[in-house]
Amino acid sequence: MALPNEGAETALVDFRSPAHSALVSTRSYLRRTLVFMLIGLLLYGLVYWSAEQLSYRYAKRNRFHAVMTAPHAQYDHVILGASHAAAFDYEDMNAQLEGMTNKKILNLSNVGAGIIVNRVMLEYFLTAHRTKTVIYVIDSFAFYAREWNENRFQDVRLFARAPFDSSLVPILLRNSVGLPVVLDYVTGFSKINNPDRFKPDISEDEALKFNKTYRPVSQIDTQRIGFLYPKQTDPQALAHYLSEFESLVLDLKKRDIRLIVIKPPIPARVYAMLRNEEQFDKALKIIVERFQIDFHDLSLVANEEKYFFNTDHLNRNGVLNFFEVSLKEILAQ
Amino acid sequence: MLFNSFGFLLFFAAIVFVYYLTSHRYRWLVLLAASFYYYSTFNVQYVFILLASTVIIYLVGVAIGAAQEHVKKKAFLIGGVLLSLLPLVVFKYLDFVTESLSFALGHEEPMISPLNLALPVGLSFYTFSCVSYLVDVYRGNLVPEYHFGRLALYVSFFPKLLAGPIERATAFLPELRQTVRFNPVAVTQGLQLILWGLFKKVVIADRLGVYVDAAYKNPEFAAPVALLIATYFFAFQIYCDFSGYTDIAIGSACILGINLMGNFRRPYLSTSVPEFWGKDRWHISLSGWFRDYLYIPMGGSHSSKSKVYRNQMAVFLVSGLWHGANWTFVIWGALNGLYQIVTLLTVNVRNKLHKIFPMPTPVGSILGCLLTFHLILISWIFFRAASVTDALTVLARLVESIPQFPSLLVVYPYTGDLILCGVLIAFLLVAEFSDEKRSLWARLESGPIYVRWSVYYVLLLSLIVMGKWNLKQFVYMQF
Repeated sequence: MALPNEGAETALVDFRSPAHSALVSTRSYLRRTLVFMLIGLLLYGLVYWSAEQLSYRYAKRNRFHAVMTAPHAQYDHVILGASHAAAFDYEDMNAQLEGMTNKKILNLSNVGAGIIVNRVMLEYFLTAHRTKTVIYVIDSFAFYAREWNENRFQDVRLFARAPFDSSLVPILLRNSVGLPVVLDYVTGFSKINNPDRFKPDISEDEALKFNKTYRPVSQIDTQRIGFLYPKQTDPQALAHYLSEFESLVLDLKKRDIRLIVIKPPIPARVYAMLRNEEQFDKALKIIVERFQIDFHDLSLVANEEKYFFNTDHLNRNGVLNFFEVSLKEILAQ
Repeated sequence: MLFNSFGFLLFFAAIVFVYYLTSHRYRWLVLLAASFYYYSTFNVQYVFILLASTVIIYLVGVAIGAAQEHVKKKAFLIGGVLLSLLPLVVFKYLDFVTESLSFALGHEEPMISPLNLALPVGLSFYTFSCVSYLVDVYRGNLVPEYHFGRLALYVSFFPKLLAGPIERATAFLPELRQTVRFNPVAVTQGLQLILWGLFKKVVIADRLGVYVDAAYKNPEFAAPVALLIATYFFAFQIYCDFSGYTDIAIGSACILGINLMGNFRRPYLSTSVPEFWGKDRWHISLSGWFRDYLYIPMGGSHSSKSKVYRNQMAVFLVSGLWHGANWTFVIWGALNGLYQIVTLLTVNVRNKLHKIFPMPTPVGSILGCLLTFHLILISWIFFRAASVTDALTVLARLVESIPQFPSLLVVYPYTGDLILCGVLIAFLLVAEFSDEKRSLWARLESGPIYVRWSVYYVLLLSLIVMGKWNLKQFVYMQF
C-alpha cells in the first residue's frame, strides 16, 4: 500500500523538516501511543477471554484441560506416557478400563511425550489432585532426544486448548521449557491463534484409524523408526533423560505414590527394528531394581498384527485385548 | 531471525531505542553492529563473505577515485566487478554451469563433482548493490566513500540486506550523513508499513502458500482444480510475500529515519506486460538496476529494432538467472522477454484493431489488466515449479482439464480456509484498486482518528487471530 507522498525514488517523509516536528510533539505522540496500547490491551483481553471459552467448549483430549476439569480430587491411577498410552484413552477406552477395574483412572499421556513432558503433566496434576498409583507407559525413543522432551513444548498444539491456570506457570519455569513457551502460555497466543479453534479436539488417529487394522509396509516401518529415533542414539542423552526419570521416581516415593512401569505391546517386526533397545532395557533395569519399581515388559505380549491400526499403535480390539489380557490384572494389584 | 518472528520485533525495538539514545556521530556504528549481528543469526560464516565484498568495493572504489587515466579506472572497475561477482558465481552458478555443460556434452553425471554449497542469504541482493556502487563511482555519479563504516552499512543495512530493495549508493549514502531526530510522523508511517507488510506475509501469503506447496509438490498427482487454485494463489502469495518483506524493510528503515526506495506499485493492475516491468510496478529496484547497468549500456531502446529486441531478451534472461540457477527461471525470464517483444511487435496491429473496434477506456483497461495478469500467471508456473518437467506437467494438466473445469469447480470440496483465502485476495485487490486512485494511508490520515485506529486494530487482531506464525521464510530470501 502506497504512502501519501509515494514514488519509487521519492522520500517517504521529510524527517528533517521542522514543520513536521512542530505538527506532532513527541510528548502528545507518546500520550496517544499509550492510549492506543491500552485500548489494544483491552481488545486483546476480549479475544483472550473468547479463546478461553472456546477451549473449554471444544477441548476434549488436551491434557491440561483434562487436569483443570478433572471431576475427582483423588484418583486410583494416573497414566503417563507417549502416543502408545494415548490410545488407552481413545473413544470410550478409559471408561472401559475404569469399568473393568472399578478404579478411577485419568490418562495424561501425550503424543511424542518424553520424560520432561510427563513430569510436567504429573506435577501439574498433583497441584490440586491426588493419585495412589502412576502407570508410566515407557517408550525408549523418548529418552534419546530433546525433540521429545524440552523441545516438545514448542509444539503450539500442546497449549492450543490449554485453559489458563496460574499454578502451571512455575512448573513450566522449573522444568526449563524455555521462556518463549511460558510467555506463549501466559499470553494465550497459541490459543488465540489456534486455526482449529472450532474443530473437535480429536486426533486423526482416533477419529479415522482407531477401528482399522494395519497392513504392514516395510518402507513405512523404516520411516517410522527414522522419525522416532535419532540416526545415532546418544548414550549421554539416554543417561540424562534416565536421570530425569530417576528424579521422577524419587519424587513419587517422597509423595508415597506407587509407580508401575510398563513397556507397551509392539509388533515383533517393529520391535526388532527399535534402535539400541537392549542398551535401553539394561539401563532401565538398573533403575527398576535400585528403586524396586513394578516393571512389566509387555512389548511382545498381545502384539499380533491384527491388533494395530498403524505401525505400532494398538487399535480398538488391540487395546481391549491388552486391557483384558494384561493391564486389568496389573491395575487390580 | 526472520522479519515475521517475535525475535525480530524485539531486536528491532531494542535497536530503535539504542539508536535514538546514541548521538548522531556514532549511529552508523549502532546500525552496522546491528546489521552484522542480524546477518550472523543466519550463519556466522556468511558474515565473512559480506565483509570481504565490502572490503573489495571499498578498496576498488578508492582506487577508481584516485586513478587519473580512464583506462586505469576501467581496469579497476572490471576487476572490482568480477571480484564482487565471484562469490555469486561460486555459490550460485558453478554447479549449475558444470552440470548443464556436462549434460550438453552428453555426460550422464557432471564432469566435476558439484560443490553443493549453501547459498548465503541475501548474496544476490548485496552483490548488485556492490556492483552498482562501483559503476556509479566509475561513471562519476558518486564520490568514493572513504568512511568504511558508512560503506559497510550501505551494503549490509539489515532491513534491506536479505531481499532488498536494491538501493543505490547515490541515494543511500547521503541519508547516512543527515542528522535524524525522532519524528513521530515518520515512526507512524514506518509502523503502518510494518503492520501492512506483516499482514500481507503472515495472514495472506503464508495461508495461500499451504495450498501452493501441496499442489506443486507432486503436480502429476494433484487434482486439476487444486492445481488451478494453487497457480492463482501463487500469483498472490509471491506478491504478498515479497511486497510484505519490502514494506517491513521500508517501514523499519523509515522508523530509523532512513528512506529506502519503493519496490512495488500495485503490479497486478498493470494493463500491459511492459507496464508491469517497466513502469515502476514489480520489483522496481531490480528492474531499475537492470535498466541502468545492463539494458542502457547495451544500447537500450536507442538502437535498431532487432537490437532492442535482443537487449530486451538478454535483460530478461539475465534477470531469470539472477533469480536462480535453474532452467525454470531461465524460461520464466525468456517468457517475460517474449511478452515484451511481442507487445512491441504488435503495437501497430493493436492500434489498428483499436480503431476498428473502439471500446470505452475502462473496458479496455480491465481487459488489458486481465490479459496481463494471465500472461504473468503462466510465467509464474515456471517460477514456482521445482523443475521444467513439473512446470510442463502443471501446464499440460491445466490445459487438458479446461473443458472439465466448469463441472470440476462446482463439485470441488471448498473448505472454510480456502474460502477465507479467496476473501483475503478480494480484500487485497479492493485495497490495491482504491490505493491506485488515492493512497489509502493518505485517506486514513485525513479521516477521523477512530477510523484510523479501527483499521490498525483490525489488522493487528487479524495478525494475532488468523496469522500463520510458523516462521515460513520469505520466498525471495532464497535468491
